[in-house]
Amino acid sequence: MADREVDQQLVERVQRGDKHAFDLLVSKYQRKLGRLISRFVRDPAEAEDVTQDAFIKAYRALPGFRGESAFYTWLYRIGINTAKNYLLANKRRTPASTSFDAEESESFEEASLLREVNTPENELMSKQVVDVVQASLQQLPEDLRSALTLREIEGLSYEEIASVMNCPIGTVRSRIFRAREAVAENLRPLLETSKGNRW
Amino acid sequence: MKQEISVLMDGELFEDEAESLLNRIEHGSDVQRDWEVYHLIGDVLRQPDHIPCGLSAKVRERLRDEPTVLAPRGHAVKQRMRTIALSAAASLSAVGVVVWMSMQISPEAGPKMAMQQNAARPVNVQIQPKANDYLMAHQEFSPSTDMNGGASYIRTVAYRPDEK
Repeated sequence: MADREVDQQLVERVQRGDKHAFDLLVSKYQRKLGRLISRFVRDPAEAEDVTQDAFIKAYRALPGFRGESAFYTWLYRIGINTAKNYLLANKRRTPASTSFDAEESESFEEASLLREVNTPENELMSKQVVDVVQASLQQLPEDLRSALTLREIEGLSYEEIASVMNCPIGTVRSRIFRAREAVAENLRPLLETSKGNRW
Repeated sequence: MKQEISVLMDGELFEDEAESLLNRIEHGSDVQRDWEVYHLIGDVLRQPDHIPCGLSAKVRERLRDEPTVLAPRGHAVKQRMRTIALSAAASLSAVGVVVWMSMQISPEAGPKMAMQQNAARPVNVQIQPKANDYLMAHQEFSPSTDMNGGASYIRTVAYRPDEK
């Protein structure tokens, strides 16, 4: 099942009233969407508010999502519109074109209640997570590191990785899992200390 | 289970396995945490400059106050039906193309083509005996030979039974 089909499965579950399925989509896309929005809204705290709001808008609009485009394309479009409307509401210039729907504009009071980003504690935590992942990657045996890098950074399929590494697809599957699990083992103690315990 | 999650997030798990695994991820907090951690690792490797802390927890908190959304009844069924209809139409078109192509080279067309080939075959021309020597001497320049380029290296001889 391709990545897009996994998303579609989760979307259909949400459309049948399953809120938990949306949690999985949020876990998967929160940082990608956040990064996209931060290109429009420079302030990190504001960008996080906008990201939260974009997810809530996506959740509300999900019954109308027909699957004609990929879920992430649709989500990113909502994210961009939300960011542009936020800038408009705050009378700031958008970095890109200004073709957007003014009806999308809404207040962000609710989001600001949950604003806790950019505290020194959170910044330190984010930095530690990055350090642990990168250090763990360097400690991996060469074959595991290559498999994970080809998958996560280069975006190759298992078949392509098998061809590059000259090994069976089953070996690729196993190497990528072992690499992820080795990094996760080092990461879990750190994540358990974070507030809310969810990433 | 963890390996299945790893394969699922890479989009390499079979559909039936994926559905049951998604059920387990949704309803098992430990399994859901593995899903989150594996995605976090991928994001750190791709974009280490943007790793905000705990965003999903805040979205989850806000979602709690949201009414549950439901797609209109039959929406998903319509979606599936449309996919099936499009697949069927594509298959029929493919079959149509194959049939049309096979009609182009059907058995009835065979004799016609053979007749055309016969018509195009050069007729035997009676050549004057004195032209034979000329043709023999210049046959290496003939475009009809199957040995273009090689003919110049072949020595041609003639045999006449009345000569000794």
